[in-house]
Amino acid sequence: MPVNEAPTASAATAATAATAATAFEPTILAFCCHWCTYSGADLAGLNRMSYPANVRVLRVPCSGRVNPQFVLTALNKGCDGVLVCGCHPGDCHYVSGNYFARRRLMAFKRLLEFTGLEPERFQVRWISGSEAGKFRDTVIEVCDQIRALGPYRSGVSDDVSLNG
Amino acid sequence: MSLSTAEALTDALREEARRLLAEGTVAVVVGWEAGRFPNQTTPAFISDPEQAQRLVYGDYCVNTLAKYALGEKAAGKVAVCVRGCDSRGINRMIADNQLLRDEVYLLGLPCSGMKDPATGSLLMKCRTCTEHDAVTYDVLLGPATAAGHDGASADSSAGDSEHVSDEQRFTAVLGIEEMAPEKRRALFDAAFNKCIRCYACRKSCPCCTCRECFVDQLRAGWQGKQNNLAENRFYNITRVFHIGDRCIECGECERACPMGLPLMALNRKMVKDLKSLFNADDAGMTEENSAALGRYDLGDLEEFM
Ligand code: SF4
Ligand code: SF4
Repeated sequence: MPVNEAPTASAATAATAATAATAFEPTILAFCCHWCTYSGADLAGLNRMSYPANVRVLRVPCSGRVNPQFVLTALNKGCDGVLVCGCHPGDCHYVSGNYFARRRLMAFKRLLEFTGLEPERFQVRWISGSEAGKFRDTVIEVCDQIRALGPYRSGVSDDVSLNG
Repeated sequence: MSLSTAEALTDALREEARRLLAEGTVAVVVGWEAGRFPNQTTPAFISDPEQAQRLVYGDYCVNTLAKYALGEKAAGKVAVCVRGCDSRGINRMIADNQLLRDEVYLLGLPCSGMKDPATGSLLMKCRTCTEHDAVTYDVLLGPATAAGHDGASADSSAGDSEHVSDEQRFTAVLGIEEMAPEKRRALFDAAFNKCIRCYACRKSCPCCTCRECFVDQLRAGWQGKQNNLAENRFYNITRVFHIGDRCIECGECERACPMGLPLMALNRKMVKDLKSLFNADDAGMTEENSAALGRYDLGDLEEFM
């Protein structure tokens, strides 16, 4: 689990932190809605676009299906960042799923950041079935941001500096 | 409130409770009675008219009673003593389909803020309370307090606690928002680390009425049983998110928490955001369910493009 690889803060010197940062490859979970973003990702593949393999695509029927607890669970189970992608507002296959998701995730994102989560670690983006390029660009962007941040430490392991 | 006011209200409450029970209008009256220590009270459940004189009302009735009505309703109609917070809790449970309005009989009481029995100073939750007097009741047992929601009678010099502005109500949230992210993370990590997951915050909450809470869904496995930072954070953030758009800000979770977690700062973070983003109503002011996360508007702010 990437989370276990995090050096304990007490032991980490500037030098080891720098090595860890260059060697670090993040794990990013992307929830993609079946009707839009998943097709967009598929199209990116058909067009032979390349994007970082750090992203794990998890297909959901709708962005409205993404229970905020999924995000917390992903972070606790070793993901360093979570991306939620769905149809543009107005295009939801189920008419209103992404409108509910928009409100819910806006509030949830603020709550997570309030408790100190870096904004880059949880992001939401609307990507349609034809926006293969946007999917690729988003994945590259989020990946770069999280690689720069370093591993997410949830406190799930026996990292004494967190669980103390 | 002055001693004479407290005595007059206690007398009126006992008399009304005795009458309601004797007439058979209600099966049980939920109020407060004296505890074992000076200035301490405990929730009381009275079903015998002869016992009505056990009820008390005064400066130390710290428990918000709304949630107790749920446990009593199997016995018949429940009379509940309500101030601002209790009445908003009742409204909230009606909006959440947990109660019907005629399953309860509401005894409205004025409130000028309750005191901490340990220190004698105004309770934290009462300092940031916006609605002192009952927002709904069947009978009103005393005149509204000056600090009440009734703007016409508002006179900041008369009550023990004054009218609370949004700025005061959100002071803790604003203070935390201004901190650097690492400081916020450290603050909440330290808080979540202290949590012993006793679930008293959930038990005391009038919005936490799920028959089966996610923490108890063992097969779904949402909540691990380990007591570590990650699991404690998972619990606390989920709790806030489940109730955030319905929170009536009674402050019972924070008061009930044995470990002193800043639960109201978390709850009010959501209340404040939903208010500024979606113009959310204050919860529990009416029986209508207008929870901001249960609806949407086509014109909602867009920031995920
Ligand atoms: S009351 Fe406090 S210690 Fe108990 S579960 Fe809630 S936050 Fe944790
Ligand atoms: S914490 Fe959530 S699931 Fe548990 S009782 Fe409260 S609202 Fe229901």
